[in-house]
Amino acid sequence: MTPWSRRGFLHGMMVGGGALAVAACGGAGQALRIQRADQTGDLVANLYVTVLATGRVALIVNKAEIGQGVSTGYATLVAEELCVPIDHVDVHYAGSNPAMRTNQGMQLTGGSNSTFEAYVPLRQAAATARDMLVAAAAQTWKVAPADCRAIDGHVVHGTDRLAYGELTRRAARLDVPARSRLKPASEFTLIGKVDRRVDLRGKIDGTAVYGIDVTLPGMCNAYAMFPAAYGAKPSKVVADRARQRPGVIDVLAFDWGVAVVADKFWQARAAAADVEVTWDAGSLHGLDTAKLAASLRAHEGDGASVKDTGDVDAAIDRAELKIGGIYEAPYLAHSPLEPNNATARIVGDKAEIWAPSQSPTIAQAFVADALGIPLDDVEIHVTLCGGGFGRRAMGDACAQAAQIARAVKRPVKLTWTREAELMQAWYRPIYSAKAVGTVRGGKVTGAKVRVLSQSISLSGETMFTAALAALPGPLARAAIKALLAALSTNSFSDILSTEGISNTPYRFDSYRLTAAPVQTKMPVLFWRSVGNSVTGFIMEGLVDELAVAARQDPFALRRALLAPGTRQTRVLDRLEQIAGWSTPAPAGIGRGMARHFCYETEVAQVAEVELVDNRIRVRKVYCVVDCGTVINPDIVRSQMEGAIIFGLSAALDQEITMVDGVVQQRNFDTFPLLRMDEAPEIVVDILPSEDRPTGVGEPGLPPIGPAVANAMYRLTGVRLRRMPLQRAWNERGAS
Amino acid sequence: MKLVVNGNSFEVAVPPETPLLWVLREEVGLTGTKFGCGAALCGACTVHVAGKPKRSCVTPCGDIGERPITTIEGLATGDVLHPVQQAWLEANVPQCGYCQAGQIMTTVALLHAKPKPTDDDIDAALSANLCRCGTYPRIRKAVHRAAALLATRSAP
Repeated sequence: MTPWSRRGFLHGMMVGGGALAVAACGGAGQALRIQRADQTGDLVANLYVTVLATGRVALIVNKAEIGQGVSTGYATLVAEELCVPIDHVDVHYAGSNPAMRTNQGMQLTGGSNSTFEAYVPLRQAAATARDMLVAAAAQTWKVAPADCRAIDGHVVHGTDRLAYGELTRRAARLDVPARSRLKPASEFTLIGKVDRRVDLRGKIDGTAVYGIDVTLPGMCNAYAMFPAAYGAKPSKVVADRARQRPGVIDVLAFDWGVAVVADKFWQARAAAADVEVTWDAGSLHGLDTAKLAASLRAHEGDGASVKDTGDVDAAIDRAELKIGGIYEAPYLAHSPLEPNNATARIVGDKAEIWAPSQSPTIAQAFVADALGIPLDDVEIHVTLCGGGFGRRAMGDACAQAAQIARAVKRPVKLTWTREAELMQAWYRPIYSAKAVGTVRGGKVTGAKVRVLSQSISLSGETMFTAALAALPGPLARAAIKALLAALSTNSFSDILSTEGISNTPYRFDSYRLTAAPVQTKMPVLFWRSVGNSVTGFIMEGLVDELAVAARQDPFALRRALLAPGTRQTRVLDRLEQIAGWSTPAPAGIGRGMARHFCYETEVAQVAEVELVDNRIRVRKVYCVVDCGTVINPDIVRSQMEGAIIFGLSAALDQEITMVDGVVQQRNFDTFPLLRMDEAPEIVVDILPSEDRPTGVGEPGLPPIGPAVANAMYRLTGVRLRRMPLQRAWNERGAS
Repeated sequence: MKLVVNGNSFEVAVPPETPLLWVLREEVGLTGTKFGCGAALCGACTVHVAGKPKRSCVTPCGDIGERPITTIEGLATGDVLHPVQQAWLEANVPQCGYCQAGQIMTTVALLHAKPKPTDDDIDAALSANLCRCGTYPRIRKAVHRAAALLATRSAP
């Protein structure tokens, strides 16, 4: 960390508008900029980018670093236009700041849009600062700015050289140029070329501070006892013996559970053994996911129309071959490796929270509700996140920590256990989709898909009031609903459950997509790639079935259904080539492919699969991605690798099941992650592009499940339409 | 009780059944060792006890005795990274990074026992260390690279 104060900086920076635009232009911005330069010597470009009097660059990242590499990406954009080495940029993570709500009206890390969102504005801010530094040097030397160049943190004119740090004060007094030139791709020295990350040192030497590592003066620790039955409230708590244990400060009952508070976490955890809690029946009493899945399987009738082109009824009437079946996917947990946690300090009527948060805005709302204070009286500090995958958009632990801190009148860190992480979570929704494809004369004539899923958007009121007892309250609900409203634009008012196939690039002669919500109180949430995590499985399975029925090669059939000369077909062509698709698969290996377009990025994959003692083993995966301009190729590769492995864990093995309102998975023994010995070799190829950068964190996931299922069909002749695939394989023919 | 961590002695007042993980994090103040599962199912808490990898979340601190403990903070020599850490940097292994202390500690022990590990050796040593971000292919590459770095360093 730098000696320079992040908080002081942030407080001095509450100027300017919301978006990542260059905020400090003229008017009040200019006065503040000059004032700040007088005080510190720093040149403020905007809310996010400042050239310090030391010559280093301070960059505020208003996103959470959840491993996706946003800190490196943003630092690269700024370093590129400021003409400094990337290690001259110091990254600081923004806390809650209303001026930084750049995603759906929120501070939110999600939707794979961070790079897309910042690509132009961050470079513009940096280019503005660069031009002002150049102008300041030109003024010093009494030469034309056009004759000066910015190189390596200096402005150069002939043999004259001035370091940025010598120019910031003078530059700050200059007028902001109306428009600074952004480098064309041909001049990039960092974008597309940087192959390292800025966030690694602390992650390999043990000094990185995640939420779980936060320590405050006078801080105590809390262990949360949660019910087995989801949403159950403690009706009776006997804690006399626990209160006598060393270090124990208090045992507190809340609607959501019982907090054992002690000086140290180990003391709180040990004391919990002496706490007897009687719970009520819980908010999901009676919910049984196996019965739910069976009822969805038996469901007749269409849902609301999402997409209807051509005459699919006629295609079905006239079909020579009708294929398809019911595609299914279970509830899933995110289960990031760092358990949910938050540290809270209450001063007067205000709350300060440190947390690994993907959305400080939502976290603020959770805390404000829990304490009954205005949202603006909650300040969130965002730490490094030990994974996120969507889970950390919620502020449940923040609210709980705040409630505990207020009760014990001390700063407190609340740390969840793995069991809580699985049993008290928000889940990827269950899906059951009836998919029918038609073939006539060797040609695909139609596709009809009816999606049943528990809608994240429509779960709204029941989910938020019933599922988590008192949490979240009205402010959090309003915030989340505003977000969901922003995301919900199609006729079904739930874009998330059919995303990825409501806008399918396949040009079927006839295509009907309908959807209906599954009504349960199970709390559901965005999970890496959200609806795409299942819609890709449905569509790519169906298209593979169509290829088999039409006796066409899967690549050839897809090409015939897609518009030529697009991202889709370019990716297909490249994948076919690198995967050696035209040569036969080795004996004992099944090869399957799938593609999907989401977050404006096209990804296609070939999976090579074998069966070892009835275990589905994925030996190798080829992956081609077109995500527009690439900032850091190695991060794109790592996100593809990560999404494939994250997706394989889900596709092969994972499910969250509930019996009578109790989640059955407790730890990594029952909610397994793919392991080193089963991780496939992965070959990633990135298509060159000068288009605007698009999503990378999520789009690698949707194709892997269907690629494996399609490979299993090639290997065994058995069509697996249910995830997790290993269970479907084990139970094949049983249902 | 006395614990020797990264070459330093610490006097800690904790019951002997307290898991080493929490003693390291809360009493010694070394938070690089991570809590992931609490049940020896993920490996994020791996440290060395007398050079052998141990799941500190299920190791009672009273069982350690005088045996020296090494944590992720004890690998580097001043600013000079351990070759395994260096290999991790070169291969851009971490994403979120939360599991990597455990991965690195397990790898250091593996390379001590098997300076030239095969892929099967890597599978055997590291398959109980979970990574939610899916960095396994890079870990494998980095283990081989670390083996090469160590071989160079110990060459005459």
